[in-house]
Amino acid sequence: MVAVSFKDVWKDYGSGAVAVKELNMNIKDGEFVSLLGPSGCGKSTSLRMLAGLEHISSGEIIFGDKVVNKLPPKDRDIAMVFENYALYPHKTIYENLANPLRQAKVPADEIKRRVTEAAELLEIEHLLERRPQELSGGQKQRTAIGRAIVRQPQVFLFDEPIAHLDAKLRARMRSELKHLQYKLGVTTVYVTHDQLEALTMADRIAVMNDGVLQQFDTPQQVYENPANSWVATFVGEPGMSLMEMEMTSVEGDMALAFGSETIKLDQKSAARLAAAGKINLLVGVRPDKASVSLEPLPNGIQCEIYSRQLLGADVLVEVEIGKSRVRAKADTSFGGNVGTPCHLNFLSENLYFFDAEDGKVIPQ
Amino acid sequence: MTVTTSSETHPALSDQDWGFSTIDRPPSAINPPPSRMFYVYLAAPAIALLAVITIYPFLWLIYMSFHKVGFGSSSDIFVGFENFSRLFTDTKYIEGWGLLLKYSAICLSIQVVVGVALAVVLNNSRYEKILVTLFLMPMMVSPIVAGLLFFYLYNGTFGWYHWIFQSLGFLGETSILGSTKTALYGIIIVDVWQWTPLITLITLAGLKRVPQDQLEANMVDGAGSISNFFNVSLPNIYPFLLIAILLRFMDNFRFIDAILALTGGGPANSTRLLPVYLFDVSFQFFKLGRGGAIALTLLIVTIILGLILVRVLEDPTRKKALSGDPDN
Repeated sequence: MVAVSFKDVWKDYGSGAVAVKELNMNIKDGEFVSLLGPSGCGKSTSLRMLAGLEHISSGEIIFGDKVVNKLPPKDRDIAMVFENYALYPHKTIYENLANPLRQAKVPADEIKRRVTEAAELLEIEHLLERRPQELSGGQKQRTAIGRAIVRQPQVFLFDEPIAHLDAKLRARMRSELKHLQYKLGVTTVYVTHDQLEALTMADRIAVMNDGVLQQFDTPQQVYENPANSWVATFVGEPGMSLMEMEMTSVEGDMALAFGSETIKLDQKSAARLAAAGKINLLVGVRPDKASVSLEPLPNGIQCEIYSRQLLGADVLVEVEIGKSRVRAKADTSFGGNVGTPCHLNFLSENLYFFDAEDGKVIPQ
Repeated sequence: MTVTTSSETHPALSDQDWGFSTIDRPPSAINPPPSRMFYVYLAAPAIALLAVITIYPFLWLIYMSFHKVGFGSSSDIFVGFENFSRLFTDTKYIEGWGLLLKYSAICLSIQVVVGVALAVVLNNSRYEKILVTLFLMPMMVSPIVAGLLFFYLYNGTFGWYHWIFQSLGFLGETSILGSTKTALYGIIIVDVWQWTPLITLITLAGLKRVPQDQLEANMVDGAGSISNFFNVSLPNIYPFLLIAILLRFMDNFRFIDAILALTGGGPANSTRLLPVYLFDVSFQFFKLGRGGAIALTLLIVTIILGLILVRVLEDPTRKKALSGDPDN
């Protein structure tokens, strides 16, 4: 068990392709950290640099108090689970699990004990004599995790380990992985593009985009206090809607101008925006904090329905106001369909404010 | 035809919009499936050609091996198994087998070890493309030319290799091909020079298909590059290597062009491998019946050894493992 840090880490593939820019991150001992971002954001590269499978262009990667930049993977005491499991097809499941221990020259009876232990923990002890291609996706995935835990490493690295499982199995593996990590207490870095995985499993989430770390905080903070408009729209499902608005005043009170409409501000938001002194804003609202109605609402904004999607328990209504589109959740009894005029309403204390220029959140 | 456009039916689903509904023949009547004979006619020329160039000579070989083949006006005499039974007392025949097996075993061992090692070094090296092109060159040289080339290199008066080996103290007063002790190694060097690149090329193709994630997983498991080769790469290139070994093994039993150019079987029969002896018997002494018997035994043994090689080297579970789709 060890703390892991990135210190000013850059990854440059040459010819101007920069995969990771100035990454700074301190992962605590025993922490479960998720690297979240869209494909190509540098999250896998960061993980591979931790593993030693990728050289770093500059900066330092530190395990505990040791700089490991130059160490090959075998000397880092890590275990990694790959997206495609990377099991050895020519070896049985037992041999697959035993491989890390054999590499470490652990005595045979000790190998047997630890492999059996890991297999029991993952409920794959009846598969030990089979070969990977005779296993289902879920069983392969367990074998890959088993291979990671037998050697009792300092750090677990997961590269989208459950991305290829079906939805039901994925939900089950999420809770099992979380449980396993809690029980073993091993520092874990988990790469995913699925925000649900990050939000449900991680102690802290590192959100990345374009090789830049956007925010590194607890799931709750990332969801409730996104650092910028990009994180705000990326995290949360269905995602937050952004509207371009301008500061204005109505009868001496601060308000937001949105097309031809004005939205009154509560005192707290008004004070916050006054302190920031920005005119052009990106204003975000989460679908569950916005409401639509066919009847006129007090402070309601006139709009037209763009699409209506049934989510099961409720309906996601996307409305069009000028060139902006805003998503709102409504009751399944909501009657409007595409093209119906309607009214959108939200409370100003539920809004998120970002600077329109750089997308950064307006400080509280 | 009336168009039924009720409120439930989408207009595109009415019959009128679809051209094929007016065709009254079933599609199979327009394009009937060809009869079986059609395929036979198509394949006939190829089968006829095959019959003329392989099946007829093979049957003729069997015929010859049971006859004393006559020339000119004298006719063939049926001799039963006499051609075969005489082989058991023919010391040159038995020695030929010994030499062939020794030659084959040494050539194969060197070629596999050196060929695979070269492939590993070449794989992902910066100069891979240039070096592979250079390595192809010996293979493009005709074996007889390769033989002549080495004939000069081995020459006791001006040959470079002769000079090198003599300087290293491997040779006494004689030249490489002039001594019964070294002549066999002289022809082995030519075969290794010419055919190691084949093993390298096939292995290289195999190495390109070794899954990167398995290599990486093994590295994370704690393996260095040597363990990575034996643990992941070698099992993955195994089927490729098996094909390369089989090809070379069969070639060694057939190709004698370079040997004929270099030694012609000498000195003192020290390079008279069985196929060389076969050539001598058939085309120097024109004993076509005995030659046929030798050829037939050589063929049968080649097939048997080839099957044994496949059986020994091919682990069925391993084969299944490697042919399986990794994602299923």
